[in-house]
Amino acid sequence: MVLEEEIPRFASWIGPAVLRYAATAGAAAVAAGLCAWLAQAVAYGPLASGDRVYRGILAGLADLALPSPRRVWALARLAIQESLRRNVLVALALFAVILTFAGWFLDPASVDPGRLYIGFILGATNFLVCMVALVLAAFSLPADVKSKAIQTVVTKPVRTSEIVLGRTLGFALVGTCLLALMAFAGWAFIVRSVSHVHALEDADVFASPQAGSEGRTSLVRGHRHRVVVDGSGNGVAETAHGHRHAVSVTGTAGDGGRRYAVGGPLGILEARRPLRGSLRFLDREGRPAAKGISVGNEWAYRQYIEGGTAGAAIWTFDGITPEEFPNGLPLEMIIRVFRTYIGRIEEGIHGTIQLRNPTTSLRSESLPIVAREHTIDSLFIPRRINTVLASGELREVDLFAELVSDGRVEVWLQCLEPAQYFGVAQADFYLRAGEGSFALNYAKSCLGIWFSMLVCTALGVMFSTFLSGPVALLATMAMLLVGQFREFIARLFTSQVTGDSSLVPGGGPIESLYRIVTQTSITLELDPTPAVQAMKTADTLLLAPLRLAAGLFPSLSTLGTSDFVAGGFDIPANLLAAHAAETLGYVAAFVVAGVFCLKAREVAS
Amino acid sequence: MIQQATNGAATAARPSPGDVIVETRNLSKVYRDFWGRSKKTALKPLDLDIRRGEIFGLLGPNGAGKTTTLKLLLGLIFPTSGEALVFGKPATDVSKNERIGYLPEESYLYKFLDAEETLDFYGRLFDMPPEERRRRSEALIEMVGLTRDRKRQLREYSKGMTRRIGVAQALINDPELVILDEPTSGLDPIGTREMKDLIIDLKSRGKTVIMCSHLLADVEDVCDRIAVLHLGELKELGRVEDLLRVTGVTQFRATGLSPAAVADIERVLEKHGAADVEVGNPRTTLEDLFLEVVRDTEARPGRRARRPETGRSE
Repeated sequence: MVLEEEIPRFASWIGPAVLRYAATAGAAAVAAGLCAWLAQAVAYGPLASGDRVYRGILAGLADLALPSPRRVWALARLAIQESLRRNVLVALALFAVILTFAGWFLDPASVDPGRLYIGFILGATNFLVCMVALVLAAFSLPADVKSKAIQTVVTKPVRTSEIVLGRTLGFALVGTCLLALMAFAGWAFIVRSVSHVHALEDADVFASPQAGSEGRTSLVRGHRHRVVVDGSGNGVAETAHGHRHAVSVTGTAGDGGRRYAVGGPLGILEARRPLRGSLRFLDREGRPAAKGISVGNEWAYRQYIEGGTAGAAIWTFDGITPEEFPNGLPLEMIIRVFRTYIGRIEEGIHGTIQLRNPTTSLRSESLPIVAREHTIDSLFIPRRINTVLASGELREVDLFAELVSDGRVEVWLQCLEPAQYFGVAQADFYLRAGEGSFALNYAKSCLGIWFSMLVCTALGVMFSTFLSGPVALLATMAMLLVGQFREFIARLFTSQVTGDSSLVPGGGPIESLYRIVTQTSITLELDPTPAVQAMKTADTLLLAPLRLAAGLFPSLSTLGTSDFVAGGFDIPANLLAAHAAETLGYVAAFVVAGVFCLKAREVAS
Repeated sequence: MIQQATNGAATAARPSPGDVIVETRNLSKVYRDFWGRSKKTALKPLDLDIRRGEIFGLLGPNGAGKTTTLKLLLGLIFPTSGEALVFGKPATDVSKNERIGYLPEESYLYKFLDAEETLDFYGRLFDMPPEERRRRSEALIEMVGLTRDRKRQLREYSKGMTRRIGVAQALINDPELVILDEPTSGLDPIGTREMKDLIIDLKSRGKTVIMCSHLLADVEDVCDRIAVLHLGELKELGRVEDLLRVTGVTQFRATGLSPAAVADIERVLEKHGAADVEVGNPRTTLEDLFLEVVRDTEARPGRRARRPETGRSE
């Protein structure tokens, strides 16, 4: 699973985040006030405009104070009834159709079917729930204004804040019910889809010099497992396609052969709790290096070490205690391979892992590993382990007594095969600190979808307070789209301002259009003629407001946590808490903005 | 019975500040386009005082500014200049709505609710406790005669039924001020009469009613005072009886006179120099005729209605 940034502790994250939020919200409020003043000044003159804006702000703030729960609930109920009248349950029917026919398009023989099914279900649920929330929220108030039903509401002692809160709450409840039903159906679909068993016949099992016996399971859903059975009759169908099976001998058949029972898939629906370390590199000479090797113009997330050299990737783990890992260290790793020659593709690339005490520099013996693409390899390092003395002799020691210093230990990864490379990222090596419940993890991921749905609802309601239904829907979608690309927009703007084209090659929209028309490659620098300078300046001016706005817009993808569930990792509580706070911040801001927008408009014309 | 109208308008006593429920000062409304340019002047500066306990009518042809005035009083739109005070509070202050009931022109209600749900919903907006909501809903549904249709969605209601549930929602909070926009619009004569009876009943219960209409007879029948608007401008303001009084003409009405007595009276009038003397039977209104027929039909089903008697007293 890709984890580009370390997940900070919520307690240390929330303080600066609140300050940033307050500063941004304050700046946005001032900008909105200025815009309102300018708009009013055209019709009423600057002084009267100032008076109107001032009174509007006071009225809006008074409106936000202490809304009546009964009125809010009345309006929420109305929103729910309206949603049902607008056949919101069609979304459920659509989801049922998707589930019914998903089997036609999802390949059960894929490399990691668990990831495929979980990703698909959570993605479809997220899309449908957010779309329903968007449509309901964007069209409701404008429909009331059009039918004039809003006039019988605002002529009651109803505050604007109660209207906005009631709508938001009502649609959020509808979305919540939809999400709960879809999540439950999705859960059943996933469990049913990944569930399978293999047959193991005695004829397919042979005595093995290394293990008691080994063999192959039957082909089910496009894959088989290599089976190893020990002398006592217990065995395992080794990991393939992201899972394994337990195997046991159940008796003897009539012909004297053994009968085997193969259990259900294991390790396919799980929630690992990883303890991650920090990563540094050594170059091919064994000297500290700022980064690993780049194997081409590709995403820099993963960096490489060269095989057959002193190059190494070193993770330093902190907080390692015998209480937490009483039997040893369960190391799991995702190692990418870059081959300069293909070799025997089915065998993987050989490497070693060593533990090292960061204080005494005492090292363990090298433990062999084989890196296979697309699998999570595991290596259990026991408490008693051989260390290599200066003399070259091996001495068995206790892991925590000799190799762990103040809770810290280093794990060295090296590639043994010359001209082959291991690709790694910081999040790729971890100690499996525990096991969470997959069901709970799935529920946590649904909570992430719920956060997205809340943001969509609040955003749609906000735009619907002053725009017509279709325009509000388009505005909401545009805002979410810009939010989705907010980091790219920030990078593009920086690239324009600093002139560093390596950040985003090709320039802004006008320059890009020019390059398309003239068929100029994005890697070519344009001659700095006055026309080109003017074009770049215009691009910067165009991008400046977009850059400012993008900082305010939510990015739904950052609220999503389906990658964790699909990858089999437990969603960290710190991340969930940060997402909850972020959602609350956005919803609060959109509700306040919606209140002021509705307050400022005439609901009758 | 003989009625005599005299010339000279009766000047109403100036109201005390506590009696004034609605006050507008220099209230005007200009609709503008997207760019802020004036598109239409809907209401020219208007000064009005509406007093507690009266039925006040805003009268005028379509586009006169009646509904605009009501919307300004309700805070549905904002004035271009001037101010409107309701119960001494600015029209945009929602707390004033606690004491107001509003019936819009078309009873803009939520069609997917039934009558009970509608009244329950609006009762909740007044923060009423459940028991009170239930009690008031029951009473109002019975009052407007929708007991049998209380569980039907409003989308299935006729125009008259929609109007009646509209009235019920306007009265859910037992308001002190009832604002009715074209209250008899779309109603049949019976409905119209019931609506007018209701308005008079509200007045008898101490409520203040503001209504606007372009149906002159409605306004004449129920209003104490009227303001006549035309093209957004106030043209007349005063008590209905004062405004309708025709000065210089004396009218006698009597019952039980023989033709000979009528001839004698004519001679006496001519002797005193009366000009343009008209003698004949007064005409009833079509509304009265229709109501008489309906009542008679209901009283004697299957029989042809009797022609209403002439000379009956009103």
